Amino acid sequence: MTLQAQVRSGGNAEPEQRFTDGRISARWFPVFMLLPAILFILVVLLFPLLYSLYVSFTPYELLKPNSLKFELARALRNYQKLFADAIFWKSVGNTIVFLFLSINLSYVIALGLSQLLARVTRGQGLMRTLLMVPMMFAPILVGFQFRWFFNANVGLVNNLLYSLGLMQERGQIAWLVDEPLGMFSIIVASIWMNLPVLTIILLAGTLSLPVETFEAADVDGANSWQQFRFITFPLLAPFSYIALTILSLDISRAFDIVRIMTDGGPAHRTELIWTYVTRLAIENTKFGLGSAMSWVTVLLAVAFTLYFFRQLVRSRVVR
Amino acid sequence: MVHKARLLVFMLVLMLGTGLAAQDMGEPQYAGLDMDLSGINIRMANIGGGTYEVMYESISVFEEATGATVEIVALLDGFAIDQKLKVDFATGAADYDVAWDHTSFMAQYTDFLLPLNDYFGEEDLAEFSPAIMDAATVDGNLYLIPRHADISPIHYRLDLYESEEIAAEYLAATGEELTVPTTLEQIDRQARFFVENGHSTFGYTLAGREEALTGRFYEMHFASGGSLFNENWEPTFNDEIGVAVAELLRGWYQDSIIPVDTTDLLWDGVAAYFCNGDTAIKLEWYGWYAYFQSADNCAINHNFGLARGFTGLSVGGDAVRPSGWAGAHAFSIPATAPNPEAGAQLIKFLSSERVAYEEAQLGYLPVRNDVWTRIIDDAAMAENPLDRERLVLAQLQVSEDFKTPPLIAEWIPFSNIFYPHMQAILLGDVSAQDGLDQAAAETREMMADAGYYG
Repeated sequence: MTLQAQVRSGGNAEPEQRFTDGRISARWFPVFMLLPAILFILVVLLFPLLYSLYVSFTPYELLKPNSLKFELARALRNYQKLFADAIFWKSVGNTIVFLFLSINLSYVIALGLSQLLARVTRGQGLMRTLLMVPMMFAPILVGFQFRWFFNANVGLVNNLLYSLGLMQERGQIAWLVDEPLGMFSIIVASIWMNLPVLTIILLAGTLSLPVETFEAADVDGANSWQQFRFITFPLLAPFSYIALTILSLDISRAFDIVRIMTDGGPAHRTELIWTYVTRLAIENTKFGLGSAMSWVTVLLAVAFTLYFFRQLVRSRVVR
Repeated sequence: MVHKARLLVFMLVLMLGTGLAAQDMGEPQYAGLDMDLSGINIRMANIGGGTYEVMYESISVFEEATGATVEIVALLDGFAIDQKLKVDFATGAADYDVAWDHTSFMAQYTDFLLPLNDYFGEEDLAEFSPAIMDAATVDGNLYLIPRHADISPIHYRLDLYESEEIAAEYLAATGEELTVPTTLEQIDRQARFFVENGHSTFGYTLAGREEALTGRFYEMHFASGGSLFNENWEPTFNDEIGVAVAELLRGWYQDSIIPVDTTDLLWDGVAAYFCNGDTAIKLEWYGWYAYFQSADNCAINHNFGLARGFTGLSVGGDAVRPSGWAGAHAFSIPATAPNPEAGAQLIKFLSSERVAYEEAQLGYLPVRNDVWTRIIDDAAMAENPLDRERLVLAQLQVSEDFKTPPLIAEWIPFSNIFYPHMQAILLGDVSAQDGLDQAAAETREMMADAGYYG
């Protein structure tokens, strides 16, 4: 039987036979077809990952090639330095605050917007198009835009407050400097960038919900809030977890925003793990230390993702 | 009528004099064209953007005269070209013959650069400013050929210093004449006076983040007689002088003498405050001059003067000296360059009197004495006398006050440790002494890791 014939017949003819007379069994055929992709992923993803893990156990500095050598006695030094570094922990704390507020506020606003959009009867196309506008901007441009909005001297926000009489003198509020306004500013920018994707996913979910359930609720006398609370929100759970998982993985795009708006400053007040890794690895050329911190970051991201996937599976089972 | 005749004679004499002077100096000359480089492709990675790229238009002259072709493999801004060089040097991919360099960055690259002593003789270097050439040399090895320099004079608002009412008010308030400041303590008194009496929104402005803040602290500390490190590379910036400088800056921030967003400001933000006329005094690079004088862009146009950098705080005693944090853009040859000799010829051409003169006409400060003479003579005919005064002052500062940061590879890592602590001091998160002590401890650890203490 030829390979083609095997495939056509569902591969049941010789299930245990492998590479006999130039033939491949159906069992291994998918693996064979996926091999190029697997090799590609190994080369471009796994190798750099493992290499950076190796680098994280060395004192490697970019401009000191001889420093790329593994010594057992010093292998954990980068991790020791990192865990003893107060700025590292501050950046971890800031990142958790940033992720928590940015993701949750984005979700709440997107949920509200999706419910409003689902009820729009005229101009829905136009409103959806307008909603997509933030997606057209690269994160770096969003950073520049909000940096200007929140500029103390010539920024839009301060000038607006001044024009409305809410501020006595121009430039009184240093949005990108004061605590916690700096973190607030970058969270606002991040939310603005996140909203379109989240809203579209939740809108699609809302529009796919069965109409009969709501009609039955109407008959039973449930008001709008009760319908949302006890029908829409629970049924949207799978969509919510998909949206939140995508967002939690995608949130590192906020690096560009933070880099442009505050660059982690002043005095590390808005330092996030991504800006600190860049400072260590690229600006200070401490690749070993930077790699160690990157691995800690990866583990945090994996933990977040696992949590959301578990919630997603649980919500589908409940449904 | 008599006046007109005198004026005519004066103009004729001036024109004749200028013509003779120009004739004496002759036309500025190219260099590096005396070698046949036919068939050689010279690759160059350089800084780009804005008026940096105007210089590269002259390369066609070099190509025509030598027979070489020049391929520009990278044109990036300063930050990006630094990143490219670091990665290319680390991976052995620096396959170009000429690379951008800077006195502040050079020390990071020296292991990957070719010493230029064998390619440039005394005659080639005779016209270059000795202070800058010192900054281009490490352990007797010349690593870069300077292109243009920058240093900061005091900028001050003329209307504040020319007003008799303000002068009288200042005299009454402080007991001293209001003159253009020459010391940091005078700046402190005047800046506070201007703000407290409503003459200016801010008394002073400075960049408050990244290397810009580190550099400005370094400059004030140095001008006050201090030094960031001792001879054993132990940090010493947390000494009495350092604390005095840090407390001065902290006081300015806490009392709103400098803007509330100072820790968010880089050069463009600082320039914007002066451009708007919101700042009375500041130390600023010469490169902003044309922008400030533009009536289309800046309210401050034709309303500011320039003066030599301040001397530091009197806590430094006899060791106080004029400020002069400075640097120079430059050219280097990577150690892995395929055609170093041809690269050296291209650098000779790009740093020649003719090319340097043409670039100086764009507003950059030259690094060659012969070019200084030419542009100062040119400026004598300018409508605004400040155009010439500026150049004379800049030449004085470059020749006498030019002071680079420590020429060590750890300058930028040090700065990344230092400036957040300085910001915390300004913002009031920590005392001046504690903040500097913490920065010194972290710097010592970083220097120890780099092998400075054996």
